[in-house]
Amino acid sequence: MSAMRVDAKVVMLGKESVGKTSLVERYVHHRFLVGPYQNTIGAAFVAKPIQVGENVITLGIWDTAGSERYEAMSRIYYRGARAAIVCYDLTDSSSFQRARFWVKELQNCEEHCKIYLCGSKSDLISEDRSLRQIDYHDAQDFADEIGAQHFETSSKTGSNVDELFQKVAEDYRSTSFHGMTLQETGVDLTPKKDSSFYSCCHNN
Amino acid sequence: MDGEAQRATASWGNGTLAPGDHLRSDRAESPTPGLVEGTEPGAGQKSAMFVHAQSFEDLTAEAEEEVRREADINNPGDSEEELNVLVGEKEPHLTSESKSKEEDVSSEAWRSHRKHVFVLSEAGKPIYTRYGTEEALSSTMGVMMALVSVVESEKNTIRSIHADGCKVIFLTKSPLVLVGVSRTSQSDKELLRELQYIYYQIVSLLTLTQLNHIFQHKQNYDLRRLLAGSEYLTDNLLHRLDRDPGLLLSAVTCLPLASSARDTVSSSLQAAKSKNLVFSILLAGDRLVTLLRKKDQFLHHIDLHLVFNLVGSSSSFREGEGWTPICLPKFNTAGFFHAHISYLEPASQLCLILVSTDREDFFNMSECKQRFLERLSRRTAYQALKDALKSPTYSVEHVGIPELRHFLYKSKSSGLYTSPEFPDVYISDSEQERLMGLYQELHSSLHHPTRPLRFFYRCGERENLLAWVTSGFELYLCFSPLGTKALAVAAVTKLLKWIRKEEDRLFILSPLTY
Ligand SMILES: Nc1nc2c(ncn2[C@@H]2O[C@H](COP(=O)(O)OP(=O)(O)OP(=O)(O)O)[C@@H](O)[C@H]2O)c(=O)[nH]1
Ligand SMILES: [Mg+2]
Repeated sequence: MSAMRVDAKVVMLGKESVGKTSLVERYVHHRFLVGPYQNTIGAAFVAKPIQVGENVITLGIWDTAGSERYEAMSRIYYRGARAAIVCYDLTDSSSFQRARFWVKELQNCEEHCKIYLCGSKSDLISEDRSLRQIDYHDAQDFADEIGAQHFETSSKTGSNVDELFQKVAEDYRSTSFHGMTLQETGVDLTPKKDSSFYSCCHNN
Repeated sequence: MDGEAQRATASWGNGTLAPGDHLRSDRAESPTPGLVEGTEPGAGQKSAMFVHAQSFEDLTAEAEEEVRREADINNPGDSEEELNVLVGEKEPHLTSESKSKEEDVSSEAWRSHRKHVFVLSEAGKPIYTRYGTEEALSSTMGVMMALVSVVESEKNTIRSIHADGCKVIFLTKSPLVLVGVSRTSQSDKELLRELQYIYYQIVSLLTLTQLNHIFQHKQNYDLRRLLAGSEYLTDNLLHRLDRDPGLLLSAVTCLPLASSARDTVSSSLQAAKSKNLVFSILLAGDRLVTLLRKKDQFLHHIDLHLVFNLVGSSSSFREGEGWTPICLPKFNTAGFFHAHISYLEPASQLCLILVSTDREDFFNMSECKQRFLERLSRRTAYQALKDALKSPTYSVEHVGIPELRHFLYKSKSSGLYTSPEFPDVYISDSEQERLMGLYQELHSSLHHPTRPLRFFYRCGERENLLAWVTSGFELYLCFSPLGTKALAVAAVTKLLKWIRKEEDRLFILSPLTY
């Protein structure tokens, strides 16, 4: 029951075709798929264990579809998430607007969710600087303002992708470690059999 | 003949949710064409799996649709708030870059496509085009809408225009208008059926309630915003409509599998139940392995084909687990189900679809899948199933009728069909499409709205064709052009006997429920 052993729920958000699925593909399967782009339908879930210090933490990653069609549904995907990776395409300024929208939505509805702002497709910029539409410092300023971490990644080359997810896992561990010292007992990270993951995160 | 057609219509009209109680168990070894419905080869032993798909006269359900639509409008349900989110003003960020089908709409090539399909809103706004981009076609679509409106203002409905080897078919399904332009020899009714499929495809993504809501609030809403990224589903469905006998026959086909193995798979699936789980569907590519349903709930073949199309069009379910809202429009146009979609193993063709009523059910469904898989992998049936994947189809030679090249056989009471692989004569794509075109013509003749035929034999230069419909089955046969009519008729009896012998492998005879 792989899905039940998830420690932290992580949700990928952002405009369609910014590269959310590609990020997950790169991180989980270490590959970059070329070929015609396929929009994600609804959302896809994948569980990925990750080593943090001596611990293994399993991230439950929700790769959501960027299409507006699913916007009304999006709550079920980000509710109870410990981390949200809000993606925008470095070569598409409208996608940054959309990222702002998601940040606002998270701030309003999911205040305990840590935000990671991720500018994608950095390989395109390295090839041709004129393609950049979102200034690094503008994005950094925005990230500071909302208290978010900021990354620029490329799923094509793999640049910064592992670092991004590693940071997510480390931040999760340091906050849950904090909780552990308070309780003085080891935290049992495996939820009870009948409690779904949602509820376990909700109680935190 | 007329009586036959009427009967079929009537049973569709009143029996949309449950099949009749006439499924008998006397299964003759040498079935004759005159056999009773429910005893034909391939008929389920206990009950049918689908909404009674006796005929393809989906169009006669129009009146009932109207009624349901009324209900939708008057009762938008509790999702009102969510819907408002959708119609609210937002920065338009639709670009046409996602369209890979850039094509000059004034070119001869564009004009000469065999079949065009356009979807527009009642305000004349383009929603979908099969070829070219919607932007380039906005004035064309405006003209189409004008035609619809002019006729409507006379309290009439425009159905079709015939001109110059070209047919224009209109389907108004408020708030959408669908237009087909065809150079094929398909009948109006066939073309209308295809437009219906496209309509349902769109409804399955949005629900009719949402569609109505949107256009009530904003008549000239650009629906492409909400459909962005789904165009390939519609493209693929149109492709299937040209190629897939299942869509023509209103039926689905099964993976050939020994009934003992299939029964084990079914019961393993049955054991993995959950409160809100309504349908569990196990697919091998485009073939059904088994389908379980909640007692008293039936899936319509159109809905099932929409699910097939969704799964078949997208490779994104290959890894991980998909969780997506889906409306099954023949079941209920008002709401979403939630489908858990995953492959049993990463490289496997076996795809499991678990349909739940609860959007929060993801982890329950995920656990159901695990339970099913654990149970199944302990049994030898799993290996039998994997072996069966290696021969998902069979050669027509097994039947032992030398002149027979290909056939489609549909058991009406089960809504399942069987068909061999295409023989070498029809190996190319274009030849296969030509044969499908011939079957479509036969189908049109058998289901002609005013003069339906029960039996049809046609000699051609390249093949001879026979079509036969009874209360129990529908049969289309393709023979070498050297055969005779007498031979063809004799072949039917022989073929029915063969199908009877093989039926427990080719069909799902004992479907289970939760
Ligand atoms: N050059 C380059 N292309 C990328 C990168 N990441 C994604 N792409 C391309 O961008 C397109 C969209 O990528 P996806 O990962 O499918 O986008 P998505 O955000 O999942 O889109 P939706 O599922 O529709 O929301 C694809 O054609 C990818 O190949 C990247 O790092 N570099
Ligand atoms: Mg995606």
